[in-house]
Amino acid sequence: MISNFQSADTDETPIDRLLREQAQLQTPVTDFSRRFDEGEFEGPFRELIPLENPKEGEQFAFEVDLDRCTGCKACVAGCHSLNGLEEHETWRDVGLIQGVRDEKAYQQTITTACHHCVDPGCLNGCPVDAYEKDPKTGIVLHLDDQCIGCQYCVLKCPYDVPKYSKRLGIVRKCDMCYNRLSVGEAPACVQSCPTEAIRITTVKKTDKEGAAAIASAPAFLPAAPHQSYTKPTTAYVSTRSVPQDAVAGDATALRPQHAHWPLVIMLALTQISVGLAAAAAIWTTRQPALLVASSVFAMIGLAASVLHLGQPLKAWRAFLGVTHSWLSREIVTFGGYAPLLFGLTAAQFISLPFEIPAFALWATVAVGFAGVFTSVMIYADTQRPFWKFAFSGSRFFGTSLIALGAGGCVFGSCPMSFIALTLGLVLKAMVDITGMIELCNPEFGPGKHSALIQLECEREVFISRWLFTLVGIAMLWFGAQSAFALGGALLILGGEITERYLFFRAVAAPKMPGGIAS
Amino acid sequence: MKTRFAPRPESNTAFRQWNGPLTKEIVQRPSEFGLGQLPQRTQPDATTDSVCGYCGTGCSLKVHLKDSEAINLSANQSYPVNMGMACPKGWEALAPLSAPDRATTPLLRNEAGEMEPISWEKAMETLVSRFKGIKEQHGGEALSWLSTGQIPSEEMAFLGSLCKFGIGMVHGDGNTRQCMATAVTAYKQSFGFDSPPYTYQDFEESDVLVFIGSNACIAHPIMWQRVMRNRRNPDIYVIDPRRTETAMAATHHLQLKPKADLTLLYGLARLLIEKDYIDHDYVAAHTEGFEDFRAFLLNGPYGLAEVSAESGIEESALIELAQKIGSGKRLSFWWTMGVNQSYEGTRVAQAMINICLMTGNIGKPGTGANSITGQCNAMGSRLFSNSTNLLGGHKFTSAEDRAKIAGILKIDESDIPQKDSLAFDQILEGVEEGRIKGLWIIATNTAHSWINQNRWNRLREKLDFLVVQDMYHNTVTAQAADLVLPAAGWGEKEGTFINSERRIGRIRKVRRAPGQALADFHIFQLIAHYWGCGEKFARWTSPEAVFKIFTEVTQGQPCDISGIKDYKMLEENGGIQWPLPAGTETFEKQRRLFADGKYFHPNGRAKFLFDAPQALPESTDEEFPFVLLTGRGSSSQWHTQTRTSKSDVLRKLYPAKAYIEMNPEDAQRLGIKQDDQVVVRSRRGAITIAAHLTPITQVGAIFAPMHYREVNQLTMSSFDPHSREPSYKHCAVQIRKA
Repeated sequence: MISNFQSADTDETPIDRLLREQAQLQTPVTDFSRRFDEGEFEGPFRELIPLENPKEGEQFAFEVDLDRCTGCKACVAGCHSLNGLEEHETWRDVGLIQGVRDEKAYQQTITTACHHCVDPGCLNGCPVDAYEKDPKTGIVLHLDDQCIGCQYCVLKCPYDVPKYSKRLGIVRKCDMCYNRLSVGEAPACVQSCPTEAIRITTVKKTDKEGAAAIASAPAFLPAAPHQSYTKPTTAYVSTRSVPQDAVAGDATALRPQHAHWPLVIMLALTQISVGLAAAAAIWTTRQPALLVASSVFAMIGLAASVLHLGQPLKAWRAFLGVTHSWLSREIVTFGGYAPLLFGLTAAQFISLPFEIPAFALWATVAVGFAGVFTSVMIYADTQRPFWKFAFSGSRFFGTSLIALGAGGCVFGSCPMSFIALTLGLVLKAMVDITGMIELCNPEFGPGKHSALIQLECEREVFISRWLFTLVGIAMLWFGAQSAFALGGALLILGGEITERYLFFRAVAAPKMPGGIAS
Repeated sequence: MKTRFAPRPESNTAFRQWNGPLTKEIVQRPSEFGLGQLPQRTQPDATTDSVCGYCGTGCSLKVHLKDSEAINLSANQSYPVNMGMACPKGWEALAPLSAPDRATTPLLRNEAGEMEPISWEKAMETLVSRFKGIKEQHGGEALSWLSTGQIPSEEMAFLGSLCKFGIGMVHGDGNTRQCMATAVTAYKQSFGFDSPPYTYQDFEESDVLVFIGSNACIAHPIMWQRVMRNRRNPDIYVIDPRRTETAMAATHHLQLKPKADLTLLYGLARLLIEKDYIDHDYVAAHTEGFEDFRAFLLNGPYGLAEVSAESGIEESALIELAQKIGSGKRLSFWWTMGVNQSYEGTRVAQAMINICLMTGNIGKPGTGANSITGQCNAMGSRLFSNSTNLLGGHKFTSAEDRAKIAGILKIDESDIPQKDSLAFDQILEGVEEGRIKGLWIIATNTAHSWINQNRWNRLREKLDFLVVQDMYHNTVTAQAADLVLPAAGWGEKEGTFINSERRIGRIRKVRRAPGQALADFHIFQLIAHYWGCGEKFARWTSPEAVFKIFTEVTQGQPCDISGIKDYKMLEENGGIQWPLPAGTETFEKQRRLFADGKYFHPNGRAKFLFDAPQALPESTDEEFPFVLLTGRGSSSQWHTQTRTSKSDVLRKLYPAKAYIEMNPEDAQRLGIKQDDQVVVRSRRGAITIAAHLTPITQVGAIFAPMHYREVNQLTMSSFDPHSREPSYKHCAVQIRKA
């Protein structure tokens, strides 16, 4: 009571008293445990999950009834809260497709989570087998404690499903609320959809494979990445026709991707290292210097790659996926290349009781090129057009060629260096020219998307990349075997690192349709 | 626990780690309280229920507590409103409480013009001395307050009573003027009291649901849930100039020209008369003025062809709708801001009421002319804010009412002003003209939300003292303040809200407010004390004590809640709809008004009210050829975004920057491409904004979500003459590529 403020027994002022009252949480215990104390919880969602477990050749899948999904987005928030995700982490996303149907405007909210693919890209790419396609349910599970945080699955998944957590150093994703389903509860999104638009169904895997086999068939949802790559199992159903030419709300939005600096350094420097090792094998007189340079680059590059991992201490597991993951193969290959290279380099300065045969270095170079090949395949295997084999191969091997040429110029000029330099340069120029031709494409495809990111979002970087390389090569050309050449080589290094930065930034990352961009 | 299949493996092998600290972060375990499986980390040790603090749906949220403090929440399954569902704002209701920009101490503008933290004591002394100074020099009418539909009724009542009975103000209004005033006025005039007649069950029991100016799918998704639960295979009509989410989900979309709604409804009414789809018995027994209305329609330009041409709706569509109504199906109208925020919204709302009255579609299951409320406690504001109405829906101008309230509150009758308050726009006009010198803004962000923003921006100079009381110190309004009072938010205090269907529900204190922030209730207690009028509020010791006052002041009113004993009774019944007079033995969970056909006018009849459609306040012309429509952007955005922008999850669900929707046909003509920046100019301001091209918005019109501040630079100061509600939905603009 206000009038009691001053007549209180204590010296407490009204302000003190109200602050104290404000800090008290007085929710009495008797109020909470009223209703649901006993009994198991199944909720009102029985009909939204299958009564039986999948049989042989079947699996669980999401089914979204587009006619019932009206854009409330509760599924995203419900999943987030009931699964205890990080503040910014969402396993379900919503987007929008828009178009025209029956001469009337058409818009449809799209809710999407993991599609629990029949042939999951994430699982196939994982170097440490941190994914498991559950044999009983077909749910694609992620083993959080197995994950090393390499994020390759993020690149492999065409639907942008796995989400990396910086705090935890791992990737996490939707598991269709496996534990809830295992006791007959509906997944969080199903539980939180006010209009019962999301349900779990049982599907035949062969049906999904069949639907994926025809590349000319329409995508399983307009504006979604085609099913041929990973064979997603989610079905979007509607009793009304869905216009096939509907476009995503963010269809033409430019979305520069994460730069992945450790990978930028790792790729550029390992490729340079291999090029320099090759130079060392060719110009045997300059072998010690070239091998030292090659080793230094390899060391920095491989050290940088470890920085990329969220869980570097678990990296020893990386060989586990060697039968299916190009990343695993890359780690194993460079894991072989590095000790060979370092050993041969050390041998230049230590007198050994035996002579190392010349083919040892050539063999090391071969392992190195195999490593570069695995690097190329890592990106080519994501099916992203900007990273297709011809492009990534030209870029990565081109870097080795340029390094070979530059090494030759710095340490021992010969026509062959110039040939290598020119060849590398031409390869790279061709990639960029082919890429930029896409600008003339009237359709906004991934190629045009990448070109526009480079020209609009990263214009200065793109120009610098070519300035560095061209000026660097000119300096090498005209100042071979001088300090001038060293400066040129450093500029070229800058050019290659910049190119690799653009390689990551400008890739058009596929994903499910997004909302209105801004 | 019965299992269907084995849970995830837990034992690790040499090379596969199925379990460990990272897995434990989220792997689910059975929990108590009917919550099913939850991650170990978020397992509550208790739960409690609290009504959501965003929109007027009034969902109940089950707050998960650990050591008495909220750690998470989910939707309450046993509440008759939301039945276990919530929209994203509800799910994320706790996130805005933890925002780093919460106001944690009073702030006073110093001589250098910077905001400086001060003690509550200094804040109170400053407020009192400044306001008293203004009052002494210019009188009580020179002070005013602008409040909200977002705080509990008990706090609103305290605020209004403190201002009028304690401080001696006359003028105060709420941001409910910006959303519900039209519905309030329409009901008051037609029914004799501000009385939305329906209950949410009507969504499920109606055969023909007509939504006008309502994008319920995203603005009231949990109400749309009830529409989807309708098992009567209903015809769902959406009358809206845009092909909204709701229009997509409906069975029929009548995409009318902007602001053709009144003409369209009159056309429909005339069609019903011409075809004699009239419930003559009902009209005769329970209404007055039908003959005048009939003559007005038959003599006016409301013939089918004229209305069709005016509205852009095909004749056949109107005939079809009329036939459905005429076939005896249960008809219900549902409207929101598309109607309310109009220069003639009151008459549009009444045009719907008229159709319901003449066809007897009111007071029965699945019927009614039903206003969907915007804010969580707009109706609390309507009944108890003591601004437009005297507490409990009484009149300041009635001596009898003043005596009743003075008696209950044990104050002098002379403490109660005898004249009505100015409306929101008139208060700001008073500031503009120098009549109002001191302004106190509580829990609303007027600098963003008020129409014709550049005019508002100039007002600040005219004020001697501006106090802003808010959860956040950096709302655009707070940034203009002389004094900022840090308020506790939803979840940090107690009280009740009244939702769209008149259901009173309880909110709970489940979090500690940051720093020195105090519940608005406590702030009002403090001000009463420092002003020296504390003894007038001797009874106002707690929100529940104030609720007790409500049960007394409403006695004998249409909104009589004297049968509600206490908060506990509210909780035990899943909220209680008004009225509940004392002595009510049993009552249903879903109750509608007017089942007996008795309305609240003295003669017990409802009135037919109508006016010919008025000219647009600002029609398009050669210079400003586009119509600007404004409205809700997405389900994850709320008003001026002071709260929804604080949640990472909600931010993911809406575009970060302002945009307009524009028809591709218009865009092509102006050489505008997808996502281009455009300059939108009205006679009041110009903004640069991204263009999203979509056929959802018809040719000749653009749409801008209201959640981005710049949009109100364009809107125009025009108001419904009956409700004084601003007309946000129509003004003329020009567009060019930036």
